[in-house]
Amino acid sequence: MDHASPLERILRGVALTVVVVFFMFPLVWILLMSFQTNETILRSPPSLVFQPTLDNYRALLGGRLVGAGSTLQVSYVQNLMNSVILSVSSVSLALLLGVPAAYAFARFRFRGSEDIAFTLLSFRFAPPLLVLLPLALYFQQIGLANTYIGLIWVYQLIVLPLILWIVRGYFEDISPDVEYAYRLAGHSWFAAFRKIALPLAGPGIAAAGLLAFIFAWNNFVFALVLASADKQPVTVGALAFITASGIQFGQIAAAIVLSNAPTLLLALYAQRHLVEGLSLGAVKG
Amino acid sequence: MAGIDLDNVTKRFKGTAALDGVSLTVPEGETLALFGPSGSGKTVLLRVIAGVVQPDAGRVRLGGRDVTEEPPEDRGVGMAFQNFALFPHMSAFDNIAAPLTARRDAPSVLKAGVERVAKLLKIDHVLGQAPRQLSNGQKQRTALARAMAGQPKVLLLDDPLRNVDAKLRFEMRLELPRLLAREGVTAIYVTQDYREAMALGKRIAVLFEGRIAQIATPDEIYHAPATLAIAKLFGDPAINVLDVTPERDAHGPFARLSDRRAPLDPGLAHAVGRACVLGVRPEAIRFVDAEAPGAVPVTVEAETPLNEKTVTLAVTRRGRELLISRPAGAPGPATGPAHVAVDSVHALLFDRETGARIAPEPPGGAIRGAAA
Amino acid sequence: MAVIADTPPRPRRFRVGARALPYLLSLPALLVCIGILIPFGTAIWYSLQRYRLSQPWARRMNWGQNYVDFLSDPAFWNTLQVSMVYAATAVVVQLVLGLSIALLLQRRTRLNNVISIMLLLPLMTAPVLASLMWTLMTNANFGVLSWAAGQIGFEDMRWASSPRTALFTVLLVDIWVYTPFMVILLLAGLRSLPSQPFEAAALDGAPRLFVFWRITLPMLTPYILTASLFRLLDAIQQFDIIYGMTQGGPGNTLMVFQVEAYLNFFQQTNVGRSAALMMILWAITYALSAVFIKQWLRLRERARGEV
Repeated sequence: MDHASPLERILRGVALTVVVVFFMFPLVWILLMSFQTNETILRSPPSLVFQPTLDNYRALLGGRLVGAGSTLQVSYVQNLMNSVILSVSSVSLALLLGVPAAYAFARFRFRGSEDIAFTLLSFRFAPPLLVLLPLALYFQQIGLANTYIGLIWVYQLIVLPLILWIVRGYFEDISPDVEYAYRLAGHSWFAAFRKIALPLAGPGIAAAGLLAFIFAWNNFVFALVLASADKQPVTVGALAFITASGIQFGQIAAAIVLSNAPTLLLALYAQRHLVEGLSLGAVKG
Repeated sequence: MAGIDLDNVTKRFKGTAALDGVSLTVPEGETLALFGPSGSGKTVLLRVIAGVVQPDAGRVRLGGRDVTEEPPEDRGVGMAFQNFALFPHMSAFDNIAAPLTARRDAPSVLKAGVERVAKLLKIDHVLGQAPRQLSNGQKQRTALARAMAGQPKVLLLDDPLRNVDAKLRFEMRLELPRLLAREGVTAIYVTQDYREAMALGKRIAVLFEGRIAQIATPDEIYHAPATLAIAKLFGDPAINVLDVTPERDAHGPFARLSDRRAPLDPGLAHAVGRACVLGVRPEAIRFVDAEAPGAVPVTVEAETPLNEKTVTLAVTRRGRELLISRPAGAPGPATGPAHVAVDSVHALLFDRETGARIAPEPPGGAIRGAAA
Repeated sequence: MAVIADTPPRPRRFRVGARALPYLLSLPALLVCIGILIPFGTAIWYSLQRYRLSQPWARRMNWGQNYVDFLSDPAFWNTLQVSMVYAATAVVVQLVLGLSIALLLQRRTRLNNVISIMLLLPLMTAPVLASLMWTLMTNANFGVLSWAAGQIGFEDMRWASSPRTALFTVLLVDIWVYTPFMVILLLAGLRSLPSQPFEAAALDGAPRLFVFWRITLPMLTPYILTASLFRLLDAIQQFDIIYGMTQGGPGNTLMVFQVEAYLNFFQQTNVGRSAALMMILWAITYALSAVFIKQWLRLRERARGEV
């Protein structure tokens, strides 16, 4: 395609421009909106010329939203903290549980291994509300409703299968002979796992962890059903904003930007591993 | 005391037997070459000894100790893998040191131990490098050094020269026997190259489809192979194979080759009338004048040099192909008609049905029977 | 075992555990997930009951009545239809767009790599946040898209608030978020195809369209199937975007399964009907995932084999 006709090159250029504009515009526009006051946002026609302000972020992080004539107390910082707590803990727990299991599934063909692995995978594809709604009633009864522990447990449904299947693939890529060689040198099974398998699968495990973090952070429905305001992550919190009256539009935009920034930055950081992760190891990037 | 003792070891994968009742004894300090075509179960056998594969039945004893149920780390076995299996995230030094760190040796002991084997294998100058920085030959030596560093009683070498170039392979073929003898280790050396097997093994075990077909010295295997299949694997170019049915006359047993009488070993009288295969090594055939006794007319079709010898392809009148080898430089006929003489007295005779060799009976008449 | 080892007893450190080891390693993960089977069983149980949180005294088993009621329930048929239309349209549009974009980006130039990394950003945006972003952009007062629509003649475009355009608007967000998923998977697939068939076709001077239909597409089929099934499984369960934008409205134009079940549970407190709805969605996804997993495994096997 080096010798494409000029017309073709122009068409290609136009097509790529349309693609970039369509997918980037919303992110850019909301980012711009977050630096504007209500006055500039409400201008018609919309304009790119405005005096940028950090007021929206200041108000959001300060927890006091001064709207049209009223002051509203919001706990956006609390939402942000909840997101961090829920995502970090559930991914840590999933790594702790999932990495040894992934190793077992990669290395041993034991009775029932495939069945167990697929059962765990099937959680990824089952409708979440199917279990969430009865769980909401149970959580009320056993006191797990609106607790971090209950939420972190439920988050395992999405992060654990992800980690299990991706990390399993990375373990399978390590030749078993390398581990055998270490054991034949006189080291125990556990030493071989710790000194050979873990370091060699390390980058893959890290990538799986990052991707799981992104999915946990972006999750909405679990906390919507199981958490009240003080335990809600940013996804649920941000939705509450837009329906609340008296909030300035720039502040909503700022909330979206702040909620979205961590996952986008992590995605850029881990982008080389994302393809493999998104397809649960079926496609190599 | 036997260094390695396998008793009726059987291993099946999905119903097919990779090892089928293998029994084998290697005396302490001896090197046994384990030879067989790919898929014959060599590597599985090695892995059973190492404890990396669990046998379905049978016992494994090392130095008299039954280790069948023991994990690899307790067996005191060193192993060099075909694909080297170096630890990619450790330096050559740390790779070689692995057996010593397992014992929690003091740093000075550890350093001395690594340097000792590294010097033996001439890799002491690359110890600081990572495996990916090493040449193939250095990787292979590092793998060997790692296997030997812990001074194991038993050393398993899984075709360690397979993935290195010809020059290095030749060097190591000379060097290894000395090294193994010096360490006094009981070793099994797996290879697919018959010459390597003959160079390295005091004895050779030939494995076929999960069974030991023959265990004998290299010389015996070459001159008295148990089966036709073994005869075909040892020798390059491969042994000539001719269907014959031995007959007998006043002078003793003979086979007909292009209507010429080819005398057989007198001890083969008992094979008369059986459907047989005559195996003639290419170097047991030579070109002769038409008048020479027993000269068989052939047509020379092609010729190719093969290292130290020249190999000729000739076709008999009946259309049977013969490979004939002669020392390089020795004069040979041009393409076209020629005559050959076959040293049929020393040729090998096999049963056509079973492939088992029909051994000549000693003159005394005592029946030694065909080798199994 | 008949043979008794003739060796002194050794410390049986790992031998006892050797066979149990894989179970020990995977057990914790399994235990954590097993708890999920309990609510799953409960959901089946609830779906066979007349159960309203507001009328606890009237709770009783009615066996399959919830399901039988669906047959004559226009709301149910609406839900089924909306879910199907939503999922099918989303996947088809995303496939066509995704394949086109992947073909545009196929060559490994720096620009193409930068664009494909940019495409990750919508995909990594939380779907519910994406729906908020588009809600802001389609706001009737200040939304930039509302203004743009007015400029090209759609003066009164009401986007998600109008029954006529709600499905379109929500699909637009779905497409914005998930088309990159198709692009990324298909791009990886395209780049992993062997080059010989293409070189041979180029030597023969085969026309581009012929190459695309007869070589590229057949070889890419496993990737297309995997990616599409993956998306279909997600799209039929879409909740975040629809709930975030319209809560199933206006009216019942966007009452897909999960939104309907959620509202049944929390607004009408009709636990029985809600559970029965989820069971039907589960049956659909289960059948789909059986097909998908087979396809996915085949592809995965191949990817691992190529290492």
